[in-house]
Amino acid sequence: MIESSKMASYELYRKSSIGMSLTDALDELVTNGTISPLLAVKVLMQFDKSMNDALSTKVKVKTSFKGHLHTYRFCDNVWTFILENASFKTDNEVTAVDRVKIVACDAKILAH
Amino acid sequence: MAEAVLEGSQPVDLAKHPSGIIPTLQNIVSTVNMDCRLELKTIALHARNAEYNPKRFAAVIMRIREPKTTALIFASGKMVCTGAKSEQQSKLAARKYARIIQKLGFPAQFKDFKIQNIVGSCDVKFPIRLEGLAYAHGHFSSYEPELFPGLIYRMKQPKIVLLIFVSGKIVLTGAKVRDEIYEAFENIYPVLTEFRKIQQWYVPSPYSDLTLDLHVAKPNCTDVLKTCNSGRMPI
Repeated sequence: MIESSKMASYELYRKSSIGMSLTDALDELVTNGTISPLLAVKVLMQFDKSMNDALSTKVKVKTSFKGHLHTYRFCDNVWTFILENASFKTDNEVTAVDRVKIVACDAKILAH
Repeated sequence: MAEAVLEGSQPVDLAKHPSGIIPTLQNIVSTVNMDCRLELKTIALHARNAEYNPKRFAAVIMRIREPKTTALIFASGKMVCTGAKSEQQSKLAARKYARIIQKLGFPAQFKDFKIQNIVGSCDVKFPIRLEGLAYAHGHFSSYEPELFPGLIYRMKQPKIVLLIFVSGKIVLTGAKVRDEIYEAFENIYPVLTEFRKIQQWYVPSPYSDLTLDLHVAKPNCTDVLKTCNSGRMPI
């Protein structure tokens, strides 16, 4: 993980609620001139990295999910699944969803 | 199993199947030429249920649910369709794949459709002495239990490969038309009855038929088809 400062991270989590909030906040700061656009981009890149780091080192909760596989795709090393009637299980919680899209990228592919 | 249903619902045509057993078709492999260059990445990105990993394999792997089949689609426009249970289903599936390719904007045609292989299987419901069979038909047989538990029988006429298991389960492959499967099975059936395994500790009794049923071990080789589908067949 020493080289991780040089390596690019997936921008996958910018679309999460925390990523969207950060983007909105940065937008506002850039618009009113508090920070430069370059700094905003740097913050976002750090966010990508921190999200990936945090998910692999800090998060201990495990989730399992199952459902009826409606569609799958594998292209450019990205798996996409659409599950119907899926259920997500954490330690003691079960969440049911009618339809969910799962995008999975290979974490190692960006490392080289 | 389908064969059991067949036997139960409609009488077997004994003129065509003297053994009274009709092998069930398990897999049909067909090819077709869509006769146009294909952009595989476009296909992988836009079609559902597609896999494309050019580092591993230079074709898009696509599946449909009805008929439940898998297609290998190559950039040359050629396609292999596997997994169908009948010739018509294989052709229907191939047409559906070609239609999907057309809908993605390629001028796909449907040329030179051909059934390349038919695989069938059946169960004679008695155990077989593979060693004896291998010895008597040494010319056609290869039986190496340390390598593979089945006897590999390369029939010359019709040119069909049979996998014969102790359990009495038989797999027939290499056919271009289904009648070759049927013919090969009718050819081998008398040989199988000749090498039927009788348990050595079996003592004949006045109720011989009954005791036979009770004492002869039931065939126990549910792995036959799994083995053949997993691609570990040494043929």
